[in-house]
Amino acid sequence: MRKVMRVVNRAQCIGCYSCMYACSRTYFHIATTKLAALRVKNYAGVEGAFSIRICIGCTHPDCAAACPTEALTIREGGGVIFHEEKCIHCYKCVEACTLNAMQWDPIAREPLACHQCGICAEYCPNDVLALVEVEDDREAHND
Amino acid sequence: MINRILKIDLTKKKAEVYSDEKLYEDFLGGTGVATKLLYDHHIENIDPLSPESPIILSIGPLNGIYPIATKTIAMFKSPLTGNLGESHAGGRLFMSMYDANLSAIIITGKLDMPSYIAIENEELRFVPANSIWGQSASATERILRSAEKGIGKRSIIRIGPAGENLSLMANVAVDTGRHFGRLGLGAVMGSKNLKAIVISGNYRHKMENFAEFNKIYNEIFWTAVKSPAMKKYHNLGTPQNVLPLNKINSLPTRNFSQGFFEGAEFLSGENLAKNYLAQQIACANCPVGCIHLGTLREAFEDSTHFKTFKIPYDYEPIYAMGTNLSINDPNALFKLLNTVEKVGWDVMETGVTLSWATEAFEKGLIGTNQTDGLILNFGDAETYQKVLAYMKENKNEFFNDLNKGSAYCAEKYGGKEFAINFGKNGSPGYITGRDAFLGFLMGVRHSHLDSAGYSIDEKIISGDLNADPAEEIDMLINEEEWRFILNSLTICLFARKIYTEDLVLRALKSVGINKTSEDLKNTAQKIHALKYKIKIDNGFDLNSLNFPEKLFNVQTGRGKMNKAIVQEMIKTYTNRIKSLVETLAQ
Ligand code: SF4
Ligand code: SF4
Ligand code: SF4
Repeated sequence: MRKVMRVVNRAQCIGCYSCMYACSRTYFHIATTKLAALRVKNYAGVEGAFSIRICIGCTHPDCAAACPTEALTIREGGGVIFHEEKCIHCYKCVEACTLNAMQWDPIAREPLACHQCGICAEYCPNDVLALVEVEDDREAHND
Repeated sequence: MINRILKIDLTKKKAEVYSDEKLYEDFLGGTGVATKLLYDHHIENIDPLSPESPIILSIGPLNGIYPIATKTIAMFKSPLTGNLGESHAGGRLFMSMYDANLSAIIITGKLDMPSYIAIENEELRFVPANSIWGQSASATERILRSAEKGIGKRSIIRIGPAGENLSLMANVAVDTGRHFGRLGLGAVMGSKNLKAIVISGNYRHKMENFAEFNKIYNEIFWTAVKSPAMKKYHNLGTPQNVLPLNKINSLPTRNFSQGFFEGAEFLSGENLAKNYLAQQIACANCPVGCIHLGTLREAFEDSTHFKTFKIPYDYEPIYAMGTNLSINDPNALFKLLNTVEKVGWDVMETGVTLSWATEAFEKGLIGTNQTDGLILNFGDAETYQKVLAYMKENKNEFFNDLNKGSAYCAEKYGGKEFAINFGKNGSPGYITGRDAFLGFLMGVRHSHLDSAGYSIDEKIISGDLNADPAEEIDMLINEEEWRFILNSLTICLFARKIYTEDLVLRALKSVGINKTSEDLKNTAQKIHALKYKIKIDNGFDLNSLNFPEKLFNVQTGRGKMNKAIVQEMIKTYTNRIKSLVETLAQ
């Protein structure tokens, strides 16, 4: 068994960004939404419809496979670990993730890889996100 | 703390950023800073709809940092009242300003053609927008959200046709379901050919004292999520007030004729949540999410197809377009709210003006000559829809006049005694008693949020409080002055129970601002005095203040008001304001 992040109740999202604030605060000590390893997006013109993109901790991560320098390596339990010193700022990891889950820091020009820590879920007031036990990558997805 | 003011001249299409340490030292931010900036513009010699007329947007030292510090303050010269214009909005605007590293934005001048401004950090673009001039406030947001990518989370504020047509009650819509609703900011934007502002940024503010910041963040966050302090806003939202107010005979009905609405059940927070609520949304960095969106399902004309709208609803719109117009069908109400939202009017002033018009029609002060054949009746939602359509196109002189608000109309057509406005601003939705009205009359914005007098009335009604007139006045003034501090920071007032003075002082300290309780008190008084000075300099007459006559004959939650006592209270309150303003000269 391993624990990874899932969007378990997408439609319950109220767009408060508490999750993104929590992630940026924890890993960068900065009050912002922009350094989070996940993203809550508004859909244009659809009042109150949010889409949440977060790393689901794949066991065969497309992002790592796309990285030409092994700056992203496979994390035990799923997802990836980022090695900053190897990053050549090519953006290939972001493009490789069809979920659009890999976030990007445009100033450092580096990916913001998720640690699968569950802190964002802890701060979600509406149980949208959860750190869940899975065996298979295809488990526990939101319907 | 940010101390960067972006000054935009629309005529010259130029902008510059400057800092003013003393200003923030003296006035904190938010409403305090905006008040001083407005004061320094000497608006007494300026027509509110002329190019010189300023628009000031201002946030405070806690915005972007702590949860539920979610408001942005707008200040301007009100075209509706001719004096102090001030309105507050939530949404994402504060966050985008913080991300752009701007604590205030001052806009003057006039664009040579309809345009919008895109602000990315301090970079500015003036974009011609002939194609979106005329679009509804909602469509404008959709269009700009895809046209402007931004460099961070975007906030989009915009006007609808009401603002373009210089309706004195035009609002400015902010993101989803939030507004600079009151006192006519929309017309000021319209007069500048300014359709919208899109703002985003990518600054990162490192927390100097991270441990303390983290601690206070968690304290606020978890109180908001777990304690009952915010429950009512989270659950039913502000409409939870409908039934309790009705029960104590305080829910304005048919132009403030009575405080009991027979259809309250249908418009109650409970019924709306059960049968209409689509979902809730939040302002950025607020885990409460009090913004309730209801569903309106409408059939196509001549077809079996359906369309569905999401309509933001809150207590004040329910009162203004619902109970006070005797509309008890939520669908009919949502339809009216949808129109008001799209055209971009202040829903409260619109409702008060329509309720005045209905009573004026009843009494024969206006007739079908004015209304182009429409027969105005309380409860007739279909006709009100037509009135709104005629107002939008300024169909004739009368509908053009309705766009100027209830005070203007009553002056011209009569019926001042039942035009329920205070300081020319349409009344908020409470008939609890004299303290509610006194707060509306004497509050600097004539808003229920100035001093929340209704809450004093409520406590007196429930027997939790015993107070004499002098104490009631004290309570109103103290509450209003404390709120100047919250509004300088700028905290959502729904979180006022969380942001106690102790917490405020600690939160300020954590961002490097050392103040004492005494300092805050002095600052609040200074803000109060300055706001009133602006009002007086712009013609607000302290010597002719009174409630609309009709209210003296109505049964309030506290029973019928004693006119002599009320007038004595107004006099005492006025004298306190006068001596407060005199302190400025010293
Ligand atoms: S699981 Fe942890 S690292 Fe990943 S997005 Fe959530 S808070 Fe950030
Ligand atoms: S914390 Fe939860 S409700 Fe708030 S934006 Fe994130 S996922 Fe949505
Ligand atoms: S309580 Fe409501 S208005 Fe206040 S910040 Fe939260 S969502 Fe916005």
